Amino acid sequence: METPRYLTRNFGNPGALAHEGYVKSGGYQALKKALGMKPADIIEEVKKGNLRGRGGAGFAAGVKWGFLPKDDGGPRYLAVNADEGEPGTFKDRALLEQDPHQLIEGIAITCFANGVHAAYVYVRGEFHKGRRTLEEALRQAYQAGVLGKKVMGSDFSLDVHLHPGAGAYICGEETALLESLEGKKGFPRLKPPFPAVKGLFGRPTIINNVETLSCVPHLISMGAEAWAALGCEKNGGTKLYCLSGQVRKPGLYELPHSTTLRQLVFEHGGGPRPGRSIKAVIPGGSSSPVLTEKEMDVRMDFDSLGKAGSMLGSAATMAIDDSTSMVRLLQNVSRFYAHESCGQCTPCREGTHWMHKIIDRIAEGRGQADDLDRLLDICDNMAGKTICVLADAAVFPVQSFLRKFRAEFEEYIRKGRKMSLVGWTEEMPEAPTAAGIH
Amino acid sequence: MSYVSPEMRAKFDEITGRYPRRQAAVIPLLHLVQEAHGSLPAEAQREVAEYLGIPAVKVQEVVSFYSMFTEKPRGRHHLMVCRTLSCALGGCQEVSATVERVLGIRHGQVTADGMFSVEEVECLAACDMGPVMQVGDTLHGHLDAGKTEALIEELKKR
Ligand SMILES: Cc1cc2nc3c(=O)[nH]c(=O)nc-3n(C[C@H](O)[C@H](O)[C@H](O)COP(=O)(O)O)c2cc1C
Ligand code: SF4
Ligand code: FES
Repeated sequence: METPRYLTRNFGNPGALAHEGYVKSGGYQALKKALGMKPADIIEEVKKGNLRGRGGAGFAAGVKWGFLPKDDGGPRYLAVNADEGEPGTFKDRALLEQDPHQLIEGIAITCFANGVHAAYVYVRGEFHKGRRTLEEALRQAYQAGVLGKKVMGSDFSLDVHLHPGAGAYICGEETALLESLEGKKGFPRLKPPFPAVKGLFGRPTIINNVETLSCVPHLISMGAEAWAALGCEKNGGTKLYCLSGQVRKPGLYELPHSTTLRQLVFEHGGGPRPGRSIKAVIPGGSSSPVLTEKEMDVRMDFDSLGKAGSMLGSAATMAIDDSTSMVRLLQNVSRFYAHESCGQCTPCREGTHWMHKIIDRIAEGRGQADDLDRLLDICDNMAGKTICVLADAAVFPVQSFLRKFRAEFEEYIRKGRKMSLVGWTEEMPEAPTAAGIH
Repeated sequence: MSYVSPEMRAKFDEITGRYPRRQAAVIPLLHLVQEAHGSLPAEAQREVAEYLGIPAVKVQEVVSFYSMFTEKPRGRHHLMVCRTLSCALGGCQEVSATVERVLGIRHGQVTADGMFSVEEVECLAACDMGPVMQVGDTLHGHLDAGKTEALIEELKKR
């Protein structure tokens, strides 16, 4: 059954990039409706609609908004997270490039609901096209009176600014993003204080992901109940799933939040490529624990994947077939985290570095018998001991790969294998003994 | 000011006006300077610092932290080859190797004629089209060795 599209309804319709075309497609009606509501009622509606944050953590958007302190007359901000960098994730870039007014509408409703008069959209530096597209849409929104002094003729005023990043994965982490917005290097901040209380420029701040905000107009226009009913318990609406890796039809899929991982990969993604079988799936970005083929009947909502020992994260689903070496794959993942650690906390800076070195050595056919236990030991010394959760994110794949594919790692080490990530194997003529290698 | 023209200065004023603190404008300003001059030598950084009224070291910190900023000029075509998970599952290793072989340089280097530079980067958020390479503003997807070589030949003509 073809599911109705909301977030992606204007994809492939370049007319909607212009203000006029967006309005023709039904756009800015939700904002109009919201401006006639009481701000507190909008927040209540978003809570009832079970809109969960789509940036990775799945925190309920309405609840987060409720943390803002009472208006003290000073400024408060919305920071829009468009720094999309989690490996496997490509939904926010698509939303920026294909329906920027939908995002602007979501921003405007969110700001009105929370008494915010200035929003900054932090767009990943590499997103040249997304930046240009959003810039033009903002210009048109000001011209049409959607932004500025009197938002759609109301008494509400709102400025939305675009702020480019400059290449740093860590700036997707919300407090690093705030530092970067203030013109500093992206070092995550210690919490508390939480951004809702003391955020951008020391003022109360909401941080939401592009997809989260793009959902808001739909939730408001159809009402909380209808939006909630599109998904499943505590996970309202449709969701953008980013399917990539070794499947026939990789792509961006807008589906009900209740879709199972197996449906996504086999029905929508067409299953494995000819002659191959699915061996494993990383369901929600490179930090989400890997699942085996047998575990694919899980629903892809935040809670179900959590119960299954993984995470929905940014819904970046990567399919892995039987041609792939899990050792090489983990080498790739661990290099990413070693490269992206900001270096502020010793357990993360040292831990990601050592993990990568050891996995590198194994991948090159020089692993030692006790390397796997050594890796797990390093994991224990990292998780939960740092300023931000990047260290945890680096640990999850290592632990889960070793738990679910330990035999493959052990055999690789024992035989002194040297495989490429996909394809060929080169075994050492003589299996080296643990003592013989350094 | 040799790096900041009067027109650019007007743009600086406009951007700085968006923030309650001037320092917040440093990244957008550095982008403008780098776009105009190709790199951010120490003198350019000093001029931005002076304009914002912040110590030069604050600007240096930013330039060295963010990977898109560079103190040395890159090639006219800067090739960013994604090396992350989804692209690796699609065989980006072959793309990377082809780029190095065809241009005769390693990642992080610039060709002698200044035409090309190459850099391996992390996920470019185009994973469904992997393996992916970004050149300037444009993403090129579904690459293999042959397509990579053809793309470089095509860029040489521009
Ligand atoms: C290392 C790290 C990287 C992150 N990267 C992103 C990102 O690229 N985009 C994003 O929206 N959230 C990212 N997050 C999550 C944000 O910290 C934050 O939870 C999110 O932007 C909140 O928005 P939401 O509630 O709408 O999901 C990242 C978190 C961590 C720890
Ligand atoms: S956990 Fe890692 S990335 Fe996060 S603040 Fe510490 S060093 Fe930086
Ligand atoms: S992994 Fe290469 S674009 Fe995402």
